[in-house]
Amino acid sequence: MALALEGSQALARTIALCRPQVVAAYPITPQTHIVEGIAKLVADGKLDCEMVSVESEHSAASVALGAAVAGSRAYTASASQGILLMAEVLFDIAGLRIPLVMTCANRALSGPLNIWNDQQDSMAVRDAGWIQLYCATNQEAIDTTVQAFRIAERCELPVMVCVDGFTLTHTLEPLDLPSAEQVDGYLPAYRFHHGLDPADPRSLGTLVAPEHFSEVRHAHHQALLRAQTEIEKADSDWAEVVGRHCGGLLEVRGDPEARLGILTLGSVLGTLEDAMDNDPSLPRARFIKLRSYRPFPTEALREACEGLDTLIVLERALSPGAGGIVGPEVQTALIEMEVPPRVHNFAAGLGGRDLSLDLYRQLVDAVLGENQRKGFSIIDADPTLLPEADR
Amino acid sequence: MNEQPLQSLDALRAQQPRFRGLESGHRACQGCGEALAARLATEAAGPDVVIANATGCLEVFTTPWPQSAWRLPWIHSVFGNVAAVAAGMEAALKQQGRATQVLAFAGDGGTFDIGFQALSGMMERGHNVLFICFDNEAYMNTGVQRSGSTPHAAMTTTSPPGAVRMGKRHMKKDILSIIAAHHIPYAATASVAYPSDLRNKVRRAMDTEGASFLQIHSPCPLGWGHDGSLTIEVARLAVQTGLFPIIEMERGELIGTLPIRDPKPVSEYLKLQNRFRHLFADAYRARKELEHLQAIANRNIERFELRGVGIEKYDTEGADTVHRGGDRWA
Amino acid sequence: MIEIPPGAYARPGTSLDFKTGTWRVERPVHDRRAAPCHAACPAGEDAQAYLAKVENGDLRGAWETIVAANPMPAITGRVCHHPCESACNRGHYDETITIHGVERFLGDEALREHWAYPVAAPGSDAPRMAVVGSGPAGLAAAYHLLREGCRVTLIEAMPVAGGTMRTAIPHYRLPPSILDQELDRILALPGIDFRPATRLGRDVSLEELQSEHDGLFLGPGRRKGREWSADFAVPGDLHTGLQLLETWVAEGTIPQQPKSVAIVGGGNTAVDLARVLRRQGVEQVHLISHQRIPAPGVPQDDAMRATYREVSQAIEEGVTIHEHRGVRRLILRGERVVGMELVHMKKLADADGRLHRVAFEGTEAVLHVEHVIPAIGQDVDPLGFEALVERGQMRVEPWWGELRKHSGIFSGGDARGDHGTVSEAVGDGRRAAIGMLRRLAGKSLEPGAPPEPIPYGELNIHYFESAPAAHEPVLPAAQRLGNEEIEGGLDGRAVRHEAHRCLSCGDCLACDNCWTLCPDQSVLKTRAVAIDGSNYVFDYDYCKGCGICAHECPTGYIRMIPD
Repeated sequence: MALALEGSQALARTIALCRPQVVAAYPITPQTHIVEGIAKLVADGKLDCEMVSVESEHSAASVALGAAVAGSRAYTASASQGILLMAEVLFDIAGLRIPLVMTCANRALSGPLNIWNDQQDSMAVRDAGWIQLYCATNQEAIDTTVQAFRIAERCELPVMVCVDGFTLTHTLEPLDLPSAEQVDGYLPAYRFHHGLDPADPRSLGTLVAPEHFSEVRHAHHQALLRAQTEIEKADSDWAEVVGRHCGGLLEVRGDPEARLGILTLGSVLGTLEDAMDNDPSLPRARFIKLRSYRPFPTEALREACEGLDTLIVLERALSPGAGGIVGPEVQTALIEMEVPPRVHNFAAGLGGRDLSLDLYRQLVDAVLGENQRKGFSIIDADPTLLPEADR
Repeated sequence: MNEQPLQSLDALRAQQPRFRGLESGHRACQGCGEALAARLATEAAGPDVVIANATGCLEVFTTPWPQSAWRLPWIHSVFGNVAAVAAGMEAALKQQGRATQVLAFAGDGGTFDIGFQALSGMMERGHNVLFICFDNEAYMNTGVQRSGSTPHAAMTTTSPPGAVRMGKRHMKKDILSIIAAHHIPYAATASVAYPSDLRNKVRRAMDTEGASFLQIHSPCPLGWGHDGSLTIEVARLAVQTGLFPIIEMERGELIGTLPIRDPKPVSEYLKLQNRFRHLFADAYRARKELEHLQAIANRNIERFELRGVGIEKYDTEGADTVHRGGDRWA
Repeated sequence: MIEIPPGAYARPGTSLDFKTGTWRVERPVHDRRAAPCHAACPAGEDAQAYLAKVENGDLRGAWETIVAANPMPAITGRVCHHPCESACNRGHYDETITIHGVERFLGDEALREHWAYPVAAPGSDAPRMAVVGSGPAGLAAAYHLLREGCRVTLIEAMPVAGGTMRTAIPHYRLPPSILDQELDRILALPGIDFRPATRLGRDVSLEELQSEHDGLFLGPGRRKGREWSADFAVPGDLHTGLQLLETWVAEGTIPQQPKSVAIVGGGNTAVDLARVLRRQGVEQVHLISHQRIPAPGVPQDDAMRATYREVSQAIEEGVTIHEHRGVRRLILRGERVVGMELVHMKKLADADGRLHRVAFEGTEAVLHVEHVIPAIGQDVDPLGFEALVERGQMRVEPWWGELRKHSGIFSGGDARGDHGTVSEAVGDGRRAAIGMLRRLAGKSLEPGAPPEPIPYGELNIHYFESAPAAHEPVLPAAQRLGNEEIEGGLDGRAVRHEAHRCLSCGDCLACDNCWTLCPDQSVLKTRAVAIDGSNYVFDYDYCKGCGICAHECPTGYIRMIPD
């Protein structure tokens, strides 16, 4: 049943349906509405959960870690600076193979200060060893959140659900929430099997010397690669419950016959789809919605790119001094195709810059038009605002 | 002279009439005060506990994979988050309705400095966690750098004495007062030199609902520059001189002390340690700092009213009196 | 091969795979050291060992520990000058343990409970040993020979056993009933042939004894008074101190009743006699000694040989002691003494360390007394063994007591001339018994020495708490009129208190310090006592040799040795 809900409120109610036993969070825009929603549900007695309102994101991640190793289903949420303050703990959670779920309400990073949406924060911790799933819509955010707990618990890996701040979190729209029965059936009660237990007292977080550290990292890498199967299965199983799916590792949309491809992460996809649908005069494009950024679905990506001449990778983050972050990875992944497409890499919509319907035309022009752009650029930046030397 | 055991040592080890939380084979230095403090604390606390341990010597010397010296469920996450990890464990156990108690272990760096914010938050939220600070007064694991707990005038590798310096310029942070200001139900100091007192405080803290805090003075032979055999002697002198007061606080109020029967001059404590060697030079500034430390001890004695009234059963001299048969340690 | 689990967690207690004992350069060992009380006891008793048993409630075991060295604790507990207490390390801390009170308590308890000595009847082919004299030396020799399975012939010139214990110790110090009970138990032991009123040289010859026995011990005592004069003057009615004392002990009175007496000498006979004379009603009793009152801190060679306790009690009873004085001359009216000239004197060491008595001119003073009694010692009466006596003494090798010039014959007690207490005599008898058996077995006698005691500085005194000593009740001086025993005994509670105060020098207290303070869990506690008598074993697989256990051992029982 569709309800008109703000994205964050919907997420709060979805998380409650997943019955987390401990939720820890520290407020940061634009994550706040999610944890406020959970706090209210706890306060109203609608969710039996220890809500721990900590004094920093470092502690939020740490409390979630502690709760998970003590055998509870744990959840946290953050954004931006909060993600970076958590960073060392995020690496630790993943390295210790602790299952928990967090929402990243994607936001730009300081400095200078900017509180609006881009994905620089989650990109900054892409190597933490977490599963990262990017949501294109609030409905996907709801469904991905439920799936994330199952993936985490089956893979013994933490999952970060990336939801564009404001664009999704603060948008009111009609959304389908699953029923408690649906979620309970899909997500059985869980007990972390190598957690802390006085009856079987393990030591976690040991000191691993050079002679074993590479193997530990290898195992972690392999676990993430293996998680691809679980991510796809989680999505297809959930689809059987609610009749919707989110695309597994990635989803191919738009014109399947098109020779031009556009790969995106997150909510920008909707804007581009609208732009193409609104103007039949524009060249058609095949959209690749990259949902699972970590693990990186190399095989699925090659398959999705079959038959493309040109692929635009549109990002909402960058690696200053190098260019895109996702673009080079995609290019590397496609290099073994028999006829790989030509890959163009752009960033757009940084720090919440509005993505207009005209973006589609700009992208097409940049790769197919007369003044083809060479190399990476922030496509919607206006260098004329800068001193000569910085243009 | 060298006895031969009547039964296998393995069997004997298994039959020891006390709980073993920290097993042999850990890699602490000879005479490590922290290893002893952790052994005593876990003996009193175990077995139904879970432990979160901050980064530091204790974490490193107990768990070089694949070995662990712990016989209790234990986790090390990172340096500054031990109180938060413990808080998470406590929240989980509480939500699950389990009675297992949560301990957080950290050195002075993980308590006074990098871990302080998480500690303050944990206490403010009133988690039922016993936080134990193994206070060896510097960053020992990284090679003896000064911390907020390093005493005034002590030499460390980042507070070396020299032509214009006499060791650490600043004071040892009064952590217990800061902790007590959180209005937690129980906060205390203890010393490895008084193991009965230490274990009683662990038990008392565990019987207390809510956050509790125990600061255990734990000499580091390597970092302090004293012979490993003198660990207890040095710890005892810290207490007997007044430089490390043994006190208990409930809800911020001082409710108990270990009275000092006859305060000893601080030089007796300092002269055993290389980190204070420069205070014994024949120089005005050395004498001045020596007197400064004596004044700090005097102030502690005055502030906490540590001076005993004659001979008391539980004072610095009486509290660890031994008896034939020794059951007081059990 | 170890498989690495997710996140590389580890299993509990697996550190035991890592043997930290290899780091060690020194190892702790249990090293039972002699307590000073043990080292100082002339009779060889290990007070520390029996105090430990008392504390554990094992009174009989404690008594058996004593009688392994000394068969008559009820006597020595009363009369011994207890050098054990002078040596006791606790004296450096607060007050020494009242060891003699515990010994006396155990001795009395054994008499009351009729505890039997652990001595079995000897076989008919057991060695036969002859012991001459049933004073403390002879009795101890006989007892230890019996303990070792010998048959013993004990001859005594007097009609009853006991020697000086019977003849010269006043009853207020040693009640005859106690003496009789202790002696009767020894004389009733299987294998002893006690022949009273049998005098060597009169009733039996030395040759007879030697031919009928496999070994010989001589404990004749010293009963022959030395000649005394002051500047060649001798009073007409001179009696020696010992004669008078024996008369008083035997008859309860002495013939003379002067108003003032000076006794010359500083030994127990002199002091006992002084006290007897006070009981007799003599108003002024002076004791003249060229040495000092043997208070703590007075060097032994400058101290009167009488014990401090006896001297203090004598002073309490009104005896005047003139320390560091010598008699220069007697002042006589005819043969009657009216006074004496005393002079200050002291023993001083010369450049070679030899001591000389020096009189200080200008310090002379006259003491008016009606009577003078020399109590300057006696010699051995050599009747029947003249060839064995040299200048009134039995010259012996000091440890075993074998005669220097007559291998195979042993002696001890007062006859040796180098000491004169009951406890020393008991020790002589015990060592001689062992020596006799070694000689019988054809073994050599290496020179022995008392064990080296553990000094106070090697204890960790911090672990002990100050506690006052229990003292026995003492009859007030005004009530000491006759033969009533002056000192009472400690009660059971006081005895346990004293045992509890014992620092257990050099022996395991089972206090748990090592077990409690080992950072490496390498001291293991064992209820089934470890083979060395302690309650702990070291696990050298893990012990890193830090030395905390040794430093914190309260009793100095743990020592670090190179590994």
